[in-house]
Amino acid sequence: MARYNSNMIVAIIPAYNEQGRVRVAIKDAARFVDRVVVVDDHSTDNTLSEAKDAGAIVLHHVINRGQGAALQTGTDYALNILDAEIIIHFDADGQMDAEEIPMLIEPILNDESDIVLGSRFLNKKANIPLFRWLILKGGIIFTRLVSGIKVTDTHNGFRVLSRKAASEIKITLDRMAHASEILDLIKERELRYVEKAVTIKYSEETLLKGQSSIGAIAIVKDVIKSKFL
Amino acid sequence: MIFQIALIAFSLFGILHVSRQYRSQKVSVYWFLIWFVFWLIVIAVALFPEATDIIADYVGVEKGADLIAYIAIVVLSYSMYRVLVRLERMRQEMTDLTRKIAIEKEKNNET
Repeated sequence: MARYNSNMIVAIIPAYNEQGRVRVAIKDAARFVDRVVVVDDHSTDNTLSEAKDAGAIVLHHVINRGQGAALQTGTDYALNILDAEIIIHFDADGQMDAEEIPMLIEPILNDESDIVLGSRFLNKKANIPLFRWLILKGGIIFTRLVSGIKVTDTHNGFRVLSRKAASEIKITLDRMAHASEILDLIKERELRYVEKAVTIKYSEETLLKGQSSIGAIAIVKDVIKSKFL
Repeated sequence: MIFQIALIAFSLFGILHVSRQYRSQKVSVYWFLIWFVFWLIVIAVALFPEATDIIADYVGVEKGADLIAYIAIVVLSYSMYRVLVRLERMRQEMTDLTRKIAIEKEKNNET
């Protein structure tokens, strides 16, 4: 476990049916943070027990509410119960490299940023399948139009938030559109943000399990709906 | 002719239904009167459809039947919007509840 200036650093891992992967993600993240909080979004497999065995604090959603909702549950717990100073959003499927956590935390420790966003497009070596690349670029343009915020990677789940940012960003879009909502709130609350290059590992398994490209349509729908209702 | 009879029969059924609801105190006198008058208007329109033409002409629509259709679309669209807003609120409440349960259970070591 690492401590940086005695700040309480908490990684939040939302997990839905991540049996076989979540254990690795927890062990990975635990090397760089003080506490790992897994939010089991009502998985139907052994995610819950696996996460517990791996030593994480496990919060269990009694019904499935989506990744956005799970992140917010973890954030509430980290802020109110663990008194977290720094919160990391980390994926359960092993696509992210925990070794990049210290680098992502830097700007917050130096008080240069309130939130650090991982970007796979800042990394030139990024090995992104072409179709996925097109969808992600579309997302960037959409977000620029809707939120008016300029980022190179809108739906990257690897983020680090200061306590201030985590308290100001309250995710209400339960499903995948939360990534756009976070960007909206960064702009609205005038939070200081910076993007850092991160590596996202694509494997056949994670591509199948992760957000499907069709999911992009659902995201656009949720974002538009949230602007009217 | 068949449509008119069906409309009247449906309205009578509506009046019967709302009277029963009122008698078993499921609706207030206020809502009973609103529904009662509404169904009476429907019966009146079914009996004298030409009467609506006068109102239609007054607001600038050619036929009474068209006017009713336009009003129906507006009312239905608005109701739909209200339902969506309510649904959205319920979704949020469900998420809040799920979150609360998750955190409480962890605090009490029940996960």
